[in-house]
Amino acid sequence: MSELPPLIAARGLVKRYGATLAVNALDLNVARGELFGLIGPDGAGKSSVMKAIAGVLTFDGGELAVFGQSLVSDAACEAAKARLGLMPQGLGQNLYADLSVEENLDFFARLRLVPPDVAAARKDKLLEMTRLARFRQRPMKNLSGGMKQKLGLVCTLIHAPELVILDEPTTGVDPVSRRDFWAILAELLAEEQMTALVSTAYMDEASRFHRVALMHAGQALAVGRPSELLAHAPGCMVTVHTEAQWPALAALRPQFAQLGALGNALQVYADGGDEAQALAAVDACLRPVLAADSYQLEAGEPELEDVFIAMLRQRGERLPDSQALTAAAPARASGGEPVIEARALTRDFAEFRAVDAVSFQVQPGEIFGLLGANGAGKTTVIKMLTGILPPSSGVGRVAGVDMRGAGRAIKERIGYMSQAFSLYLDLTVSENIRLYAGIYGLNRARTQARLDWIVDMAGLHGFEDALAASLPMGLRQRLALGCALVHQPQVLFLDEPTSGVDPLGRRQFWDILFTLARRDGVALLVTTHAMSEAEHCDHLALMFAGRLVADASPAAMKRELTAQRGPLWDIRCADPTAALARLRAAGVAASAYGNRLHLFAREDELNARVRPLLGADARCQLRPVSMEDVFVERVTALEAEKPV
Amino acid sequence: MNRDDLALWALRLRVMLGKELRQLLRDRVLLAFIVYAFSVDIFLAASGVSLQLNRAATLVQDFDHSTASRELSSRFVSPYFRVDGQISHDSEAQARLDDGRAMLALTIPPGFQADLQRGQPTAVQLQVDATNSVLGFLASSYASLITSRFGLEQAASALGASGAALPVIDNQVRVWFNPNQLDSWFMGITELLNIVTVFSILLPAAAMVREKERGTVEQLLVSPLSPFQIVFPKVLAMTLVIVLGSALALFGVLQLGFAVPVRGSAVLFLLLTALYVFTTAGLGLAAATLARNLAQVGMLSILILAPMIFLSGAWTPPEAMPAWLRALTYLSPMHYYIDAAFGVLLKGQGALELWRSLLGMTLIGVTVFVWGLRRVRMG
Repeated sequence: MSELPPLIAARGLVKRYGATLAVNALDLNVARGELFGLIGPDGAGKSSVMKAIAGVLTFDGGELAVFGQSLVSDAACEAAKARLGLMPQGLGQNLYADLSVEENLDFFARLRLVPPDVAAARKDKLLEMTRLARFRQRPMKNLSGGMKQKLGLVCTLIHAPELVILDEPTTGVDPVSRRDFWAILAELLAEEQMTALVSTAYMDEASRFHRVALMHAGQALAVGRPSELLAHAPGCMVTVHTEAQWPALAALRPQFAQLGALGNALQVYADGGDEAQALAAVDACLRPVLAADSYQLEAGEPELEDVFIAMLRQRGERLPDSQALTAAAPARASGGEPVIEARALTRDFAEFRAVDAVSFQVQPGEIFGLLGANGAGKTTVIKMLTGILPPSSGVGRVAGVDMRGAGRAIKERIGYMSQAFSLYLDLTVSENIRLYAGIYGLNRARTQARLDWIVDMAGLHGFEDALAASLPMGLRQRLALGCALVHQPQVLFLDEPTSGVDPLGRRQFWDILFTLARRDGVALLVTTHAMSEAEHCDHLALMFAGRLVADASPAAMKRELTAQRGPLWDIRCADPTAALARLRAAGVAASAYGNRLHLFAREDELNARVRPLLGADARCQLRPVSMEDVFVERVTALEAEKPV
Repeated sequence: MNRDDLALWALRLRVMLGKELRQLLRDRVLLAFIVYAFSVDIFLAASGVSLQLNRAATLVQDFDHSTASRELSSRFVSPYFRVDGQISHDSEAQARLDDGRAMLALTIPPGFQADLQRGQPTAVQLQVDATNSVLGFLASSYASLITSRFGLEQAASALGASGAALPVIDNQVRVWFNPNQLDSWFMGITELLNIVTVFSILLPAAAMVREKERGTVEQLLVSPLSPFQIVFPKVLAMTLVIVLGSALALFGVLQLGFAVPVRGSAVLFLLLTALYVFTTAGLGLAAATLARNLAQVGMLSILILAPMIFLSGAWTPPEAMPAWLRALTYLSPMHYYIDAAFGVLLKGQGALELWRSLLGMTLIGVTVFVWGLRRVRMG
């Protein structure tokens, strides 16, 4: 590919919105045939770059050439537009809700002047590949989130563009559909010889790309193959397994800037790639405070997200200082009677059973994660437990009280943070806090004390009189958490609390949650479909179609999966598309993962069934199983049993 | 309820009320709209809208060319009429009526004066464009008044010549409450009442649906606030704003600009308005529970407002409606409000004379409010 001119070439690209610099002198080259990723938190400038490349947004400086044509005039933009497809951000944003799958496709085909016979053939092929063929007549609004995204992709591809630009196609899509989407995209690109520029806010999706630009504040922090990115800030991740999380954290805090709690373990990021050195450094911190047999250390490769944070740290960005983590030791002991208890909780909406006999318990000081795809019933469970929605049958008890017809008294012991960070955006930070303090009947002195605590906890110093609308998402989220905590509840419900928040903000948020659970003994019930967050929970319950299908710790779930299916293999080979086709034909469940393949298999199985189909050059490596793997495998198995 | 509970109640009311007022004050667009509606809009309605016949274009087709025919046509003058020229062909009259350049065509037949002088009955023809039924009605009645008076005078002068007396009834009209029959009073006050109605539905509905859109309402439902404690401060805040707006419109626009008298107690009028807004707000709350966003609630409000205003008698007196519609007017809370408001402002009625309206307003209002509240509770 190197002899051809790049398909996209940006030099010193600048885009401003008023005084805000969205894209700051960005250089970018994308070669023909590449699956190129723009990865970064919200507000990093990804969308602006993509829109400029698609010729739908003017830029303020620098040079930009697409297909070797400089995008200087409207005419040049129009010429380029005919050869590319753009899928804007937002689920089904480019589609018409009331039109059927087929009608949507036909519309785009006519819009793009595709000859009818070509369009018909292409439509059949694309619908077949995306497994949407069964749903041709279904109105778009009745499709699931994942199916909407697939239809969006198909509509973007109907005119066989040379370049597709997909803006956060997987945001808000559940993990199973997300994987499906990536697999389909990888197959399509390989088959059609297309180039794709795709953005995502999920760092764990980086390995799906051929090359990636890690974006932050309108610039590319690093560009390269996913595997090379880790080398930009060499480091390794030391996992500390210990019962005494709290003293361990206190001992490590002064030495290591980047550390966090992950369920029952601690994760410490050590600069420098040498594992032995990192282990020794961590050990040196822990030895004085912990007995030698009370902890175990394990070193591993860091995730891209850790590296991203390390890069920001090394650039001198102000990292969130989670003061909460350095505070005093636990005040309340954990354990004892469950504070949240669901017993055969059921809720029907007309004919539809949204929640079906769900039972679980949450102890004080425990972080309990409720996982599931969109529409699995997570939010309904929370609404029943907080008393917003009465259950059709079953019992939800919080702090020993039945929430059906719960009195006001019990509500004073519950905190709730909803999906949308329910803040009054037209009120200032302190007005929001004072409002909730008043609602919960806090007196003047206590209101002031809690206000100070929340401002401290959430890092809102200097923002007290700023309108909530003007805060970045991370701060908004922590303000919402503060408002939910204003009355020091014993039980905290969080409904998808981190959607739309960048990795830095998410980390800080989880640090705070961890402190609340471990130090203050608050019981936390968190719903999420971000699987990287599920790892933070002590205990997980997996929901599928309204039922609870698994209930265990993250580690136990991973162990169970590998016990059933064997370990996870990451396979590199010369022609992954052909290899995937051979594997599928032989009945091996494998999926495309960037330009590699992923599959579960026991080693003997791998050698006997898989290797012969791969070719001599194939390299198979073991890969640690993630919560996402667990989720996807389980849900896929369940869907096979009971098609939705 | 003991003292602590009461203090807690007051604290919650205070913070929620403060929040509502702050939010309203920070919504510059809405605020500008409110100020516009209570000032400029009412000013326009009072000064611009008139139900009077104003210099209607009149064509005269005079076949007689006599003193009498000229005398008759010359009586079609300002302020109601304006003679727009003579025509000689029927087709011309038809054409000008068709294209709207004339509203009336008066045809005086040949021999008109001769017939009158001979004491024979005679006829003139008047063609009226009644596209606007009110104006058409006014034009034809004024025109018949002119012709019959002219006929009467002719008859009197003829009889006077013979010395006999004519029995004439002199109709002595006393016009009460609006002696000069100024449209600006009626239209200005009606517009104010309309605006009050629109905002009393729209403002609480918008405030409620905004909470729903942002998801803050769940946050409130999870808190120890009762649905009433969530809704009451909202309605209270909106009532306050609307009463302030009404005071601005009444004193600043109607009284200052159009000398509308406030014959009864202005305080009573504002209290009436407060009661009306408070109770009508229930309709807005109910609308907010049905709508998913601000746009939907806006459309729903129009759906509620149209029949409410129509049935109120603001634009057509209930007496002019068919019986079954007139019965329905008793269901429109605005019907009572209009009666009471005109009663206080123009007739100088006091609370005692208004008890029927007050009772009707309260009964319907409380029912609607409780219903709206129930809908909020059910989410």
